[in-house]
Amino acid sequence: MPRMHHPLPWHRIAHHDMLVETTHDERARLDTIAHLNVFAAQRLAPTVKTAFERKGVTPSDRHEVRQAMERDPAFRAWSLVRRNTMEMRQKTGRDIVGRQRESLREKADRLNAAKGSQQSRLHLDPSLDVPRYVSGVDQHLMQGGYTAEWLDRDVSNAANYDAGMFATVGGSAGPHNDAAGRALCEWLRREFPAFVPSRIVDLGCGLGHNTLPLRQIFPTAEIIAVDVAAPMLRYGHARARALGVDDIEFRQEDATRTSLSSHSVDLVFSTMVLHETSHEALPRLLQESHRLLRGGGLCIHLEQPPYRGLNPFEQFMRDWDGRYNNEPFWSALHESDLRQMMTKVGFREDLVFETRCVAPSWQSSRPTEEDFGRAPAWYAVGAWQAVEGSTAEG
Amino acid sequence: MYSHLPHKADPNPPQPTTLRGRRPEFTDDPMLDRLYAITLALVTELSVTRARVDTLERLLERKGLVDSSEVENFTPDESEAAKRGDIQQQYLDRIFRVLTE
Repeated sequence: MPRMHHPLPWHRIAHHDMLVETTHDERARLDTIAHLNVFAAQRLAPTVKTAFERKGVTPSDRHEVRQAMERDPAFRAWSLVRRNTMEMRQKTGRDIVGRQRESLREKADRLNAAKGSQQSRLHLDPSLDVPRYVSGVDQHLMQGGYTAEWLDRDVSNAANYDAGMFATVGGSAGPHNDAAGRALCEWLRREFPAFVPSRIVDLGCGLGHNTLPLRQIFPTAEIIAVDVAAPMLRYGHARARALGVDDIEFRQEDATRTSLSSHSVDLVFSTMVLHETSHEALPRLLQESHRLLRGGGLCIHLEQPPYRGLNPFEQFMRDWDGRYNNEPFWSALHESDLRQMMTKVGFREDLVFETRCVAPSWQSSRPTEEDFGRAPAWYAVGAWQAVEGSTAEG
Repeated sequence: MYSHLPHKADPNPPQPTTLRGRRPEFTDDPMLDRLYAITLALVTELSVTRARVDTLERLLERKGLVDSSEVENFTPDESEAAKRGDIQQQYLDRIFRVLTE
């Protein structure tokens, strides 16, 4: 048997006062699901590739790969393991949360109501018109999606999300499930060490996993985390405080039309939000990034890589989530020309860029080269806001 | 008898278990998809049980009650072996019920 890396087990993920209570067997179940995910990726996915290569076809696009592979036993078995692993992960989290949802709510209430710093605020807006493309989808098989509330002031789905995410990603996001945020920080520090934003906005922050790392590299910046989902914000603000981060503002707002003033922000970012944004709302979200930025400011959106430039087989494999994991906007997003969309919403063409952000390993004892190949890495599209009066030459 | 009458709604209903969005079928037989789902759940549960046994062994070892070589080299006595044989047979009987009944 080839040696596989061990996913991060439950006892190694960051524990904080908002995290669910678990029994021995619940922890073992989540750990097993993390292992199943690693097994599916490292042992089963290669069998799908081998099966495809044996067919000897040369497809011109991913649709032709699908026609060749849809009935293939290796593809079907891999798919069944993936799909069922996702469903089991959701059920495990749901059962854990379900029996303690009232106490989780009390913990969140207590942490959120505690007197904290001026900058630490939770601003909910019950009158917000939550867009259907968020509330109407059970994203990645999560019952009720981000916005559902089963109780008054519910945090159930956010608690489930936080508890099980390490299992979904096979532990690759690190103890705080914040690899995308850390990847962004690493990129900023390496590429633009002199860039020090004084106001930062995270559009579609969820429960703020990827917002918190920004606080570490920009200790004095005002950080505003925006999302439409009240349960995620309630949990996220409480979680931040439980982790000792007491100076981030969580606001319930629509990322495509926030109440923040124009040209008031230096850094606008998002992580894994574009693929959960409808085709219609996507340009509006990019437009909003443009509206918010001051001259000289930066917007950057981290995502899975676009299909362009990938071979048809890899496109087909990566499209699995779009077809089978309740990600209705996935396929179209990965076929979009985001660079062009950025220009269309007003960014100057020569200031738009695409890049790659790689999270530094959280296991500092390990040599970098050993980790590099499997380090969590993202595609990013971004743009600098033109400074008024400057030209392409200036 | 009165189930058709309106009843007071539970103010805190349990989270529903149904998912919006169709559950895909990957095989040509819906029963085979279900069998996969059940088998994978069993795979998971067996692993959970194995982890629990491992926890117990580690605890016994830490407390100096049993060391791991004692577990590895354990030989049941005659009556223990007979009980274990019964357990094995009952287990297989339940697993293969569909082939034998």
